[in-house]
Amino acid sequence: MFSRFFSRVGLLAAPFLALIMAGCSKAEMTVRQSTLDPKGPVAKMQYDVFMDTVWLVVVLFILVGGLLVYAVIKFRARPGDEDAPRIEEGHGNPLVEIGLITASIGALVIIAIPTLSAIWYTDDVPVESVPTSKLSAWYPRLEGAKENYAKVVEEQVLEIDVIGKQWWFRFEYPQLGLTNDAKRSVPNEFVIPKGKAVRINLRSEDVIHSFWIPKLAGKVDLMPGRKNHMWIQGDEVGHYYGQCAEFCGDSHAYMRFRVEVVEPAEFAKWVQKQKTDAGAVVASPKAEKGKALFAAKTCSMCHNISGHYGAGAFAPDLTHVASRKSLAGAWLDNRDPKAQLAKEQQTQNTESSVEVDKEVLRANLKKWIGSSGVATGADGKPTKDVKPGNRMHFYKMFNVAGLTETQQKFTADELDCLAEYLLTLK
Amino acid sequence: MSETADAHDAPTSTGIDHKKLIMWLFLASDCMFFGTLISTHLLYRKLYPSGFTDAEGHQRFIQNLFNIELTSFSTFILLMSSFLMALAVSAMHKGEIKSFRRNVLGVIFFGLIFLGCQVFEFTHFYHQGLTIQNSVLGSTFYVLTGTHGTHVAIGVLWLILMYFYSFTGKLRGHMGALDVEVAGLYWHFVDIVWIIIFTAVYLVEYLGPNGIWGTGLPAAIK
Amino acid sequence: MSHDSHHAPVACKTELAPERSDLGLIRPDRTTGWTDWLTTVDHKKIGILYGAFAMFYFLVGGVEALAIRTQLIRPENDFVTARMYNQLFTMHGTTMIFLGVMPLSAAFFNFLVPLQIGARDVAFPRLNAFSLWTFVFGAFVLNASWFFEFAHLAGWLNSFDWHKALVYTDFAPANGWFSYAPLSGTFGQNGQALRFTGVGTDFWIIGIQVLGIASLAASFNFICTIINMRAKGMTMMRLPVFTWMTLITAILIILAFPAITVALIELMFDRAFGANFFNPSAGGQPVLWQHLFWIFGHPEVYILVLPAMGIVSEILPTFSGKALFGYPIIVFSGAVIGFLGFAVWSHHMFTTGLGPVPTAAFALLTMAIAVPTGVKIFNWLGTIWGGRVRFTPPMVLALGFIWMFMCGGFSGVMHSAAPADSQQQDSYFVIAHFHYVLLGGVLLGLMAGLYFWFPKIFGRMPNAPVAYIASGMVILGFNLAFGPMHYLGLAGMPRRTHTYQAGNGWENWNFIATIGAYILGAGVFIAFVNLFWTAFKGKKCASDPWGGRTLEWSLPSPVPEYNFAQAPIVATRDAYFEDRHGGKRIAYENDGGEAGVHMPSQSWMPLVASAGFLFAGFGMPMMAMGVPHAGWIVITGLGVLILGIWLWAVEGPGGYMLKTPAAAGSPAPVETAAH
Repeated sequence: MFSRFFSRVGLLAAPFLALIMAGCSKAEMTVRQSTLDPKGPVAKMQYDVFMDTVWLVVVLFILVGGLLVYAVIKFRARPGDEDAPRIEEGHGNPLVEIGLITASIGALVIIAIPTLSAIWYTDDVPVESVPTSKLSAWYPRLEGAKENYAKVVEEQVLEIDVIGKQWWFRFEYPQLGLTNDAKRSVPNEFVIPKGKAVRINLRSEDVIHSFWIPKLAGKVDLMPGRKNHMWIQGDEVGHYYGQCAEFCGDSHAYMRFRVEVVEPAEFAKWVQKQKTDAGAVVASPKAEKGKALFAAKTCSMCHNISGHYGAGAFAPDLTHVASRKSLAGAWLDNRDPKAQLAKEQQTQNTESSVEVDKEVLRANLKKWIGSSGVATGADGKPTKDVKPGNRMHFYKMFNVAGLTETQQKFTADELDCLAEYLLTLK
Repeated sequence: MSETADAHDAPTSTGIDHKKLIMWLFLASDCMFFGTLISTHLLYRKLYPSGFTDAEGHQRFIQNLFNIELTSFSTFILLMSSFLMALAVSAMHKGEIKSFRRNVLGVIFFGLIFLGCQVFEFTHFYHQGLTIQNSVLGSTFYVLTGTHGTHVAIGVLWLILMYFYSFTGKLRGHMGALDVEVAGLYWHFVDIVWIIIFTAVYLVEYLGPNGIWGTGLPAAIK
Repeated sequence: MSHDSHHAPVACKTELAPERSDLGLIRPDRTTGWTDWLTTVDHKKIGILYGAFAMFYFLVGGVEALAIRTQLIRPENDFVTARMYNQLFTMHGTTMIFLGVMPLSAAFFNFLVPLQIGARDVAFPRLNAFSLWTFVFGAFVLNASWFFEFAHLAGWLNSFDWHKALVYTDFAPANGWFSYAPLSGTFGQNGQALRFTGVGTDFWIIGIQVLGIASLAASFNFICTIINMRAKGMTMMRLPVFTWMTLITAILIILAFPAITVALIELMFDRAFGANFFNPSAGGQPVLWQHLFWIFGHPEVYILVLPAMGIVSEILPTFSGKALFGYPIIVFSGAVIGFLGFAVWSHHMFTTGLGPVPTAAFALLTMAIAVPTGVKIFNWLGTIWGGRVRFTPPMVLALGFIWMFMCGGFSGVMHSAAPADSQQQDSYFVIAHFHYVLLGGVLLGLMAGLYFWFPKIFGRMPNAPVAYIASGMVILGFNLAFGPMHYLGLAGMPRRTHTYQAGNGWENWNFIATIGAYILGAGVFIAFVNLFWTAFKGKKCASDPWGGRTLEWSLPSPVPEYNFAQAPIVATRDAYFEDRHGGKRIAYENDGGEAGVHMPSQSWMPLVASAGFLFAGFGMPMMAMGVPHAGWIVITGLGVLILGIWLWAVEGPGGYMLKTPAAAGSPAPVETAAH
C-alpha cells in the first residue's frame, strides 16, 4: 500500500502546482513589494530575465520530472521479479551522456544571452538616457570616457546620494542643493520625477545595508568603504515601498523606506518645499512648550529643524516631518490604515496612497518618541520598544568612555507637547 | 612522533607511507592558508600604496622601516637551516643518529636565529610607529609574518622534542627516518613560504625606479 | 615501534593482559562502557558517535527553526524579541551546517569508507578520535553561548557590570552564519575596537575555528585512507561512488577551510587586538570578508551536498537492481563540481557592486556548474531506467532527494542570471532555493543513508511503516514550508527580518509555511525516534537485507571490530554483487589466520588534546567579556593541547593481535536475505 502511494512521486509536485496556481492571481502578483510587477525599466529588464529563466526551468522541469515519474512507475518492481534473471549490467552510454551535456549547455546559452545584456543595462544609466554622450555603448566608463561620462551624467541625470545607517536611510540631492551639509536632507521617504533616469550613489556610515525597491529595481548593497551605484526610473506615478535587504543588526526588519514617483512639475514643487524653513510656531502654547522641550530633552543635538534648530546632523532631518507618510525608518505608517486599504482595493493598485492622517501621526509620534521603555504608558508599564537598539535614547553603540546612554524620561504631558510641536512641521 | 602505522603494517596502495602522504595533504592545505594571507596583504598594498601614518601623524613609507640587509640575512639563515635539515634527514636514513643530532641542533639554532631576527624586527617596527592598530598595512604585515613566525616556532618546538626523543633510543629504523623526513617536509615548506613572503612583502617594495609599486617616493622622504 | 604489541593473538581484547604504553601508563584496552567510547579508535564507533551528536544537533537546530517559524506565523508577532530572532537564525544556520549535516556526513565517512574499500581501519585511528572530540568540544563552545544568553536573560549574570566591558550584552551570536563585517567586526580608528555586536560573535568565531580544525584533521585522514588503504584490486575507478564523493568532499575541505580559517583569524585580530582588516573607518574593506567567506562558503555547499549525492548513488542501483548508469561520468562530474565550486563564490555577492565584468564572469561560471549537476540527475534517471524499482524506505527518500534537489537546482539556475538574482538575493526566494538543496536534498539523502545502512550498523531493521509515515511527513511538510517561500521572496519579503507588517500580502503564505514547518519537524522527530528505537530494540536482520552491491554488505551485521577477517581482493567494480550473481570476483588474502589481525590500541590522548580546545574556546570569549584572568584559561587550554599531543606522540601506537574466524580457514559466512 505504501509502495503504491510512493510510486506516485508526481504527487510531490502538488504543493508546487497549487502554489503556482494561487500565486498567479493578479492581486498576489501586484502586492506592495512584488518583483513580478515592474514599474520601471530596470525592474522590467530584471523581470524579463527572470521570466526567461522561469520558462526554461518549466520546460526542463516537465521534461526531467516527467521522465523521472514515468521511469519510477514504469520500472517499478513487480511480483515475480525475485525469480527473474538479473538485469544485464550496463555502465552507461557515451552518446546519451554527450547528447545530454550538449543539450544542457544549449539550454544555458538561452538564458546566458539575456543575462549578459541585462547585466550591462542595469549597471548604470544607459547611454540612451544620456543622449548627448558620444560614449561606447558597451562599457561607457572605460578609460578616457570616464570623465566625459561623469559630466554627461551630471547634466542629464538626476543624482541622489543614499546614506545608510542603523536603521534608516538618508537621501540627498547634491545637484539640487538638498544635502545634509545644507541642512536639507530627506530621511526615509524620497521623491523622484516620473520618466527620468535617476542615478543612485550608495554609501554607508556603519554596517552593510542594501537598497531595494522591488518594483523599480533589484537591490545593490551600501558597502562602507566602497562607492556603489545603481540606477532607477519610475514610469508610473505612485507610492513605492522599499526595504533594507542586507542583515544589519537588531532592527534590520524595521529598516524600510518609501519612494514617491511624481509628475515633473510636482517634483519641482516638492524640491521648492524642501528648501523652505519651518515657520514660526503659532499653533498653541502646547506646541510652544514642545518646541522648548525639543531643546531641553537634547533632541536638537542630533535632529535638524531648519529655521528652529540647526545643530543636529546625525539623526533624521525633521524640518518637514509632519508631511511624511511614515515614521521610524518607515516602519510606522502615518496614514489611516482602513482608508489606505480601501483606496488600494478601489484603485486595484497598491501604489495609490491616501494622505497623512493627523491623529495617526500624533499617535505614532508619541509611540515612537516614548518607546524604548523611557516613557511610561497608560498602564504604568514601560512602553514597548518600537525599534530595539535604536540610537534615539540609547547611545550604546560604542564602548568608549563618554559615549554612554543619553536616556531622557518623558511624562505623558511632555510627549503630548512634543507631538503637538512636531505636527506643526509640515 | 609516531602515529599508528606499524613496521609490519601492510604496504599502502600507492607505496607512499601514510605519514608522508598526510603531511603532503597538510602542506596543500597550508598553501591555501598562506595564499589567503599573502593575497590579503598584496590586495591592501595595491589599494593603499602610500604606507601608513604614525602616532605623530607623519606619513611613513615602509621602506623607511625595512632593514633589508637584516631580513636578507635572516632569509639566508633560514635557507641554510633547510640545508641542514636535508642533511639530518639523510643521516637518519643512513641510521647515523649522531650526525642526525648534530644537524638537527643546527636547524634548531638557525631557526631560533630567524625567530630572534623577527622579534627584533617587530619591536623595531613597533617603535618606528607601525602598529597592528594604526593601519591596514600594520595589520596585514604583522599577521602575515607573525603567522609564518608561528609556523617556524612550531617547527623548532617539534625538532627540539624530536632531538630529546632521539636519546630514548626509540627514534630509529624506517619509522624513525620517516618521522624525521616528515618533519623535514614541514620545515622545507615553511622555508619556501618564507621565500615567497620575502619576495611579496619585502622585495617588491623595492621594484621600479623608486620602489612602492613604481608610484615613486616623494623626494622629501628619500 | 611496537615494543609492547601483544604478539600472541587473543579472541577479544578483554583477554589481554594489562597493556602499558611507552609512558608506562595502562592503556584503556580492557575496559568497556564509557571508557571504551571515550577512548575508542574504532572507525565504526567513532562513526556512531558522530552520528549521535549530529542527530542531537539536528534536533537543536530544528527547534531553533521552529521558533523562527513560530515568530513569523503572523505579522508583528512578538514570540521572540528581534535580538533573540537574530540569534536564532544565526545559530540555526551554523548548527545545521557545522553541527548537523557535516558531522552526519562524517558519520557515514567514518563508518563506511574503510568497509567499502576493504580496509580494517582508517590510516590514523587516533587522529580520527581527535577529530571527533574536537568537533564535540567545538560544538560545546558554540552552544555555550546559549547558556550565557539564557543566564543573562534570567538575571543570573547581573552582578557583573557588563557595560564596563561590553557594548551589547548579547551572548549568543547575532551576526548571521555569514558574519558579514563590519557588523561582526569593528569600527573606528586607531584600535579603539568599537563593535556592533557583543561576545556572541567571539563565541561564534572560536567555535567555527575549532570545528574547522576537526574537519581538516578528519579530511587529511580520509584522503590518506582512500588513497592508501584500498584492498588489492580496488583501483580508483572501482571505488564505490560514496567513497569517491567522500574523497572529493575531503579535498574540498582541505582546500576551502584555510580561507575561512584566515578570515576568522583576521576577524579575531580585528575584534581582540584592534587590527584593521575589515574596519572600514581605518581603510579595511568589508567586501574582503565576503570574498574570503564565500571562497570557503561556496565549496562548503558542495561539501554538504556531495556526500548525500554519494549516498543516493549507492541506494539507487541497489533498489533498481541495476548497476549505476555512467559510473565514470558520475565520478567525473563530482570532481568537476568540486573544481568549479571554487570558481563561483562571487555569485553570493552579485549585489555588492562588483561591476559588470566580474558579475558576468561569475554568472556564466555559475551556469556552467549546472551542467555537471544536471549530468548527475540524468545518470540517476538512467540508473532507474530499465530497472526493477523496489520502494523501500531508503529508496523513497532517495527518490525524494532527486526530486527536491532537482527543484533546488532549477531555482539555482534562476539565480545564476545575475539581473534576476538582484531581485531574489537576500529574499525568501533564496531561503526556498537553498532549503530545497540542503534540506530537501541533503537531509533526505542523509536520512535515506541512515535507513539504508542502519541494518549494517546495528544489525537491526528499522520499522518500515513508521519510516514511510515519517518520510511522507517530511516530504509533505517540507514542501508546504518552503514551496511558498518562493512566492514570498518574489513578493519582496527580505530574509533575516524578525517580523513583517500586514498589508504586504505575505500573511497567508507565512502561515502556511509555519504549519508546514511543524509537520516537517514532527516528521524528522518521528524518523529519529524510529531510528533510535531500532538501534536498541529493532528486529534483527540478515547481514545483507537489501541485496547490496559494495563490500560492506559482505560482512556480518553488526560489523566485527576487525572488519574483514581476511583482507579481500576484488576483481571488479561492485565486486560483492558480481560475486554473488556472476562469477567469483572476490578472493581473500591469507591473513588474519594464526597470527591474527593487528588492531590499534585505544588511547586517552586524542580526548586530552582536544580538551585543550574546550578551555581555549571558553577562555577567548571570556577575555572579550572582560572576565578577569580569562587569559590564563586560554593559556591552560593551549598547554593541555600541546601536552596531549606530546603524550600522544611518546606513548607509542601500541596494538595487539586479534584472532578472527579466518583462523578456522574460511572467510566469515555471509547470510543473505531473499528480497
